[in-house]
Amino acid sequence: MRLGRLQKWMQAVVVHPGTTRQALRSPEAARHLAAAKLQTVLLPSPTLTPAERIAIYQEMYPLRMRDALAADYPGLEHFLGDRFPEFVAAYAAVHPSRGYTLNRLGDHVPAFLGRQRRLTPRAFLVDLARLELALTEAFDEQESPALDAGAIAAIPEAKIESTRLIPVPSLRLVALNWNADEWLDTLRDDLHRHPRPHKRRSFVLAMRRNYALYRLPLSEAGFCVLQDIVAGHPLGEVVTRSLSRRGAKRASADDFARWFRLWTSEGVFAGIRKGAGSKKRA
Amino acid sequence: MTPKPKGNRFGFKDLGIGIGLRTAHYGHILSTWPKIDWFEVLSENYMDTGGRPMFVLDQVAERYPVALHGVSMSIGSTDPLNREHLKKLKTLADRTKAHWVSDHLCWTGVLGRNTHDLLPMPYTEEALTHTIKRAKQVSEILERPIVLENPSSYVEFAHSTMPEWEFLARLAREANCGLLLDVNNVYVSSFNHRFDPLEYLDAIPADRVVQYHLAGHTNKGTHIIDTHSDHAIDAVWRLYAHSVKRTGRVATLYEWDEDVPPFDVVLKEARKAEKFRKGLAQ
Repeated sequence: MRLGRLQKWMQAVVVHPGTTRQALRSPEAARHLAAAKLQTVLLPSPTLTPAERIAIYQEMYPLRMRDALAADYPGLEHFLGDRFPEFVAAYAAVHPSRGYTLNRLGDHVPAFLGRQRRLTPRAFLVDLARLELALTEAFDEQESPALDAGAIAAIPEAKIESTRLIPVPSLRLVALNWNADEWLDTLRDDLHRHPRPHKRRSFVLAMRRNYALYRLPLSEAGFCVLQDIVAGHPLGEVVTRSLSRRGAKRASADDFARWFRLWTSEGVFAGIRKGAGSKKRA
Repeated sequence: MTPKPKGNRFGFKDLGIGIGLRTAHYGHILSTWPKIDWFEVLSENYMDTGGRPMFVLDQVAERYPVALHGVSMSIGSTDPLNREHLKKLKTLADRTKAHWVSDHLCWTGVLGRNTHDLLPMPYTEEALTHTIKRAKQVSEILERPIVLENPSSYVEFAHSTMPEWEFLARLAREANCGLLLDVNNVYVSSFNHRFDPLEYLDAIPADRVVQYHLAGHTNKGTHIIDTHSDHAIDAVWRLYAHSVKRTGRVATLYEWDEDVPPFDVVLKEARKAEKFRKGLAQ
């Protein structure tokens, strides 16, 4: 058997989510080798048949995928419990790893969950996965020193409106419709006192600081302001846009001073860009 | 009579006795800077992150010699070489001043997929020619000779025309690459495929061995799985003792990847190699 064909056949068997018998008989594998001809390709050992030998690889594949997704989605794994392996198998069949690391294997999990009717409460699970994905992304981002509070204070008043703030690369903003943030807070509760999933609009900032991940709850108005900063709006526009919003999305004049003090002390910003075209990093 | 060792032909140094850099030990390493000769670094874990792993690696590489060890080069695959992976690997090797870069004699996937397993090659002329060509290309891209490790395996292909040790020796000579001799893998495969491990070790070109791997495994009775989850058994140490007499003192690394115990436990296990290296020339 030529090398290319052998590898296509073996891979088809190894990644098949069913039993080894099903894997050997699957159309993907049988295209390259009929199940009945297995012994022409693989030798038996004194203790194992060819099918039992290739089963070792086939059984390890889902375990690796499970470990990788559990590392990125510990909350989802905990919530799904016994249903998690089945979820992983279904996910890996649709979104197999195509990269040289498993780090990005789970990038499609929130979208995939959104299509799974059998997993409930689906909208809660999607929110939980979105939050965990944001944390995973923040984990791998480039580290950047936080902007010193004095740097913002030193901006001449006349230039403040045209100044843009540059967030740290790890900053992620997540708007949630369910109480996934509250649920994730209880992940390490050994007594499993998790809140019951329920609808609750909330806003979370996820980021990494000094190589540690953390989350900060935001008001809806604060969330909108940070979204505008991330989008690159100058501070004058950020304020105008915020004051023109209605209801919970609208900030008050007092909010800005409080938020910027808090966000700066939390290391949300990495630099400032004064006016058009000029760049300055802290 | 065993010929007197002359050292490896690449001039790679005997780095002494090291262990793999693992997340579970980050805190211990950063707080104590333990006395250890060198660290082996899993390349793919550091290629795409600007977070804590890279922060730790930069500090480790400043203080200790390191070598890179990868799992996704897929040198035997019939898919094209992943040039992005190789480019990032070279960047990481330069950044960490890695003494050498190693990966496995295996394939990890085809058709753009990565199973993240070290899948075995058939030992045929076709596979050998293919792997030699790619090993040469990799060495050219990395601007250093690639070092390849013998895998542990659970299947044997009926159409193989040579034993693994002959394949490995010819590959090393014809592609001019170094060898990372995993003595535990030799033991595991010798059990699974019922060959004489000493015949294997004696067929390896001693002047191409630049590193040893030692590890524990899990004996299932009918077969052995290379789990890196335990102390090495005496039979593996005996194989190491036999081989090191042929190669002389060569950088030796203990791998412990599952149920990772405290740093000092792994280091103590690694240092068992000292008595076999004593009195030997590099």
